[in-house]
Order: sequence, then structure tokens, then C-alpha cells
Amino acid sequence: MNRRILGIELRRSAAPWAGVLVVVVAFGFLYSFSGPWGHSAEDWTEQWTNAAGWGRFLLNVLWPLVVGAGALQGLRDHRSGVGELLSSTPRPVLHRALKTLGATAITLAAGYLVIFAVAAVQVVANEGYFHLGWVPTVLVGVLGMVAGAWLGIGVGRTLPSALTPPLLALASLVGITFLTLGSDPASSLGGAVPMRVSLLSPALSGVRDVFAVVSDRVSAGQAVWLVGMAATGLLLATASTARRRLVSLLPVAVGAAVALAVLPADRAQTYVVDQAATELVCQGRLCVTKMHEAQLATAGGQAEEALRLLAKLPDPPTGVREVVIAKSDTGVRPRSATEVTATFDDLDLGEVGAGKLTRRLVSGAGAPTCFGWGDSTTRDQYEKATRETIARSVAASWFVDSYAPPHDTRNSDYPEYRESNDLAKRTWDSLRALPADEQLARMTALRSVSLSCQGDQLDALTGGAP
Amino acid sequence: MRWLTLYARSRQVPASVTALLISTTALWFLTAGDTPGFRMASIALATAVAVMAVGLGGQDLDLDRTAAVRWLPRRAAHVLLIGTLAATALLALQSAGPDLAPTAFVIRDSAGLMGLAALAATAFGAQYAWTLPFAWPTIAFFIPHADSNAFRASTWMLQPPDTPAATWTALTLAVLGTTAYAVAGPRR
Repeated sequence: MNRRILGIELRRSAAPWAGVLVVVVAFGFLYSFSGPWGHSAEDWTEQWTNAAGWGRFLLNVLWPLVVGAGALQGLRDHRSGVGELLSSTPRPVLHRALKTLGATAITLAAGYLVIFAVAAVQVVANEGYFHLGWVPTVLVGVLGMVAGAWLGIGVGRTLPSALTPPLLALASLVGITFLTLGSDPASSLGGAVPMRVSLLSPALSGVRDVFAVVSDRVSAGQAVWLVGMAATGLLLATASTARRRLVSLLPVAVGAAVALAVLPADRAQTYVVDQAATELVCQGRLCVTKMHEAQLATAGGQAEEALRLLAKLPDPPTGVREVVIAKSDTGVRPRSATEVTATFDDLDLGEVGAGKLTRRLVSGAGAPTCFGWGDSTTRDQYEKATRETIARSVAASWFVDSYAPPHDTRNSDYPEYRESNDLAKRTWDSLRALPADEQLARMTALRSVSLSCQGDQLDALTGGAP
Repeated sequence: MRWLTLYARSRQVPASVTALLISTTALWFLTAGDTPGFRMASIALATAVAVMAVGLGGQDLDLDRTAAVRWLPRRAAHVLLIGTLAATALLALQSAGPDLAPTAFVIRDSAGLMGLAALAATAFGAQYAWTLPFAWPTIAFFIPHADSNAFRASTWMLQPPDTPAATWTALTLAVLGTTAYAVAGPRR
């Protein structure tokens, strides 16, 4: 009997619609807009952590929708006017409520897991680094969906008015936006909300670093708060007297109090670096992080080739090593005279095409760029960075012995790109016109500039001539 | 006059207007200090339209249809009134205190959201009329910035007032929604 009623609820209530809505909105979002979830190493289909993290980001949109759907579900009895009839039956209210709540929870959890499953299948196909650090992130996401819907049902039953669903849905939208944006110092709210409070939002702000996983403390705090919220929803859905309704608010209050005590107060403790993923695995002279292990076979040959080409230099590097830097790190990247240091993005074969790794490793004569992510803000800086890009590209062409322009102008024809390409070609031609030992001397000079980050790499190549 | 009073009561206008006044005042009061306020202004207008939209259907549609009155102009007037009320409430507050958004922005957003509410009422029924004016801004907030007309049209309620793509989208929605609701009425 119970199974049959649950089956009917699953087929004929608002529950299946809510599940479908979640999936449609999520995929509509991920596939129709090109956002940070589709870029480079943080792509939502590249790594397990990314798949889980972007799923949680989607809660920013999905959570208010789910709360609204729950409120509509909770109003159903009132709309059909069967409250009096049902209260005359001897069966406890809980029995009936559990089926509605259960059906909603099942479809929403299924919808959320479908999103994750689609991401996970692609992660497996992309040979992402497998670990279990993503499990709490996904589970808290499922819990968030269920808690939101149950709260909606509970409030809908408590305040059975046609105005309840729109007001509740919009209140949850305002709330979650306020929490998510409020802690971000760059937003218009300017960090008005303490980090601890902002973490009460079931959504996350997106994946910024592939090595960072949500810390267990954050997941635990959020889980306690969301369980409290779900319990309040359940109690509200079954309460019939004013006193019981008041008591129903207890779990969510306790949950919030416990969560606030558990959640970390500063941003640095929200995400932790997955140490196991950053461990180096070596094959021959190439060392990459555990997360890149799958690419070792493809990248190994190209790294050897790059080292062989760099051996022309008087004091050549003897290995290639991946270095872990956070996107937020400022200052110059780590560099070494004995090894070629490459970042995660440099080694990301999916992003550049497998054949280009060698060229990338020998550019700048085996040393990384001297400019960071936020270093082209002033005109002067931008100019320097552009000159460096040209010099690095010409150096790469010299090592692989085939010219390629620094910018691909087939798709985007900016005037700046054309100027850069012209300058690169001129530099290349004048460099190749020199005697062989002079060419090598200039390349050695470029290498010492790129290792010390003192001076101008293009000047080193041209010998000071413009 | 008697007809109007009865109509307003059957459409829950007193409760909706109360909710509209309270929610608009609360949102304006909480956020008027912040700039830029386009996000909050569009949320305030979406809330106003959403709470008014639950009245886009009566207690008994079959009974309504037996009435020998011309529904088409009355339905159109009801939809337009929702947009007007939403815009007026915010503009009145803004004239008394700090601005959340320029007048042209408020009018464009109210018109577009009003159209969405009317469309939802026609397609899904009055009790679901709030879903579209709520769901579109919710999604639009998180659409990543792009320099294309598709982006400006999909985030029309957040664009500055002098954006043609946004204005046209809002206008299309307003006309489509009002016409559809005036002709077909709410879904049963």
C-alpha cells in the first residue's frame, strides 16, 4: 500500500516535474553558456573535484527553484480542499506527509545525481585523477536540494496561501545571493557577510583551483545545518497546532548554531589542497603531479624531445617538473636552472592539442614566463609582457627549428596581434641571418634573462637592436 | 464599482497589494545604499509582479466565463495594472529616498516581467503565474558576461536602460504576454 502511494506520488505530483526542472536548468546552463566551468583545467568535465564543485555552484540557481517547487507541492492539499476529509481518517499525518516528502526527495536527489553522473562519465573519459575527496561535496549538494524542498513543503502547509510560493522562492533567492555574494570582497556588498555565515549557503562559488577540495569542516557544518533545515521542513509539514509549529523551528535553529560553531571563519580554511594529488610521479626525466599521471605516457615523449632540443644550450636543464601554484598566487612563478618548471595548465594536453607540448616547454629557453595572472594591468606592464611573449615564441621557433607566429590570427584579428606577429617575424629573420654561434649566444642570453627575470628577453635576442 | 470590488476580492488583490508594498519597501530599504542596484531592483520588481500575478485567475473559471461581460479588455487591463503597480511602488519609494535604478530601467523591467507573468498564467494557470518572472532573473544572475546580443537579451532585466536588445526583449514579452492572456485567459 505504502509503495503504491509512493509510486503514485512519484508519477502524479509536482515531484517529477521538480526533478526534470533541475536537470533541464542545470544542463541548459552548463551547455548553452560559455562560463568558467568550460575553461582549461577547471572545466567541469576534467576532474572529479571540478564535477562536484560546479554541481554545487549550480545550487545558486537551483536552490531557489527547488524551494519554490516545494512550496507549490506543500500547497496541494489546500488547493484541492481535502484537509478536512483527510483529518477525519485515523492514520497519523506523518504517514501521508512522508510519501509526499519522500517522493520529492527522491526525484530531486535523482536529478542532482544525474547532473553529477553526466559530469562523472566525462571525467572518466578524460582520465581525471580519481580520489574520494569529492564525495562530501556531492552529498551536501543532495542534502541541500532535499532540505530546500522540504522546507518549502513545510512552509507551504503552514501558511497555505497562493502568495506563499512566490514570496518564499524570492526570499530564498535573495538569501542565497546575499550569502554567496556577501562574503566576496570584490562584490558590491564588499564582504559585509562574515565567511562563517556565508558558508551557510548550500551553494559554492565555483571551482578556481583543481587541487583544492572543500574542507571536511565546511562539509560537516553545512550538513548539520541542512539536516536541521530538512527536519524543520518535515515537522512543519506534519504540525497541526501553533505550539508544534513553534517547536518545529527548533531543529533549524540548533542546526544553524552548531554549524556556525563548526564552520571556519576565514577563506583559507574553506578549501584545502589535496596533498595526495600534488605528489609528484616521475617517468624518465618528466615529473608530474598525481593528477596528471594519466598524461605521463603522452607527455613523456614530448618532454624528452624538449630536453633534447634544449641540450644545445651550454648549461641545459636536465628534467621537466610540474609545479603547483594557486591562481591567486602573485609574484613570479618558481623557476630553476636545472629543470624546466611547468604549471598544471602548461601540461594540460586537452587544452592545447597533444602536439604542442614540446614547443611550449622550450619557449623562453626552458624557463616560465616572468608575468603572472594580474600583471598586465598597467600599460607599461602590458608592453613588457607583450615583448616577452614575442621573445618566448621566437625562442620556441628557434629550438624546434620551424617558425610559428605568437598569435593565431585566423579567428581573432586584433591589430595588436598583427603587430606582435610582424615584430616576431622580423626578430626571427634577423636572428636566423646571424652566424650559428652568435645565435646560440643570444639564446643563452635570453635564458639567463628568463631565469633571473631581470632585463628584457626581446633585447637579449636582438642584441639590443630594435 | 460593485463589479470592481468583487473582482478585486476574487483576485486576492488586497492580500497581493499588501505583500507588494511590504516586499518592495523591505528590499528597497535593505539595499538602497548599495550601488549598482540593478540586481536588487530587478529582484524587487520580480517580487512585486510575482505576488500580484497570483490574482491572474479567479476562484472558478467556468463561472467567470458564464458572465456576460467582455473579458478581453478587462484581462488586458488587469495585466497592465500589475506592471503599473510594480513600477509605481518602486518609483514612489525612489522619489522619497535613494535610487535603486533609473526610471527607464524600472519601467522596462516591470513591463517585461508583467508580460512573463501573463504568459505563465496563460500557459500554466494563475497559481503558477509567478514561476516565469521568478525563474528568468534567477538564472540570468549567473549567466557569465559576454559581449553579444544573445547575452544582452537573456539578461535583459539586468542591462542598463539604453540597451536596445534588452528593451526589445522586454517589449516583446510585454506585448506577447498581455495579448496571450487577454485573448486566452488563464489556464484551468
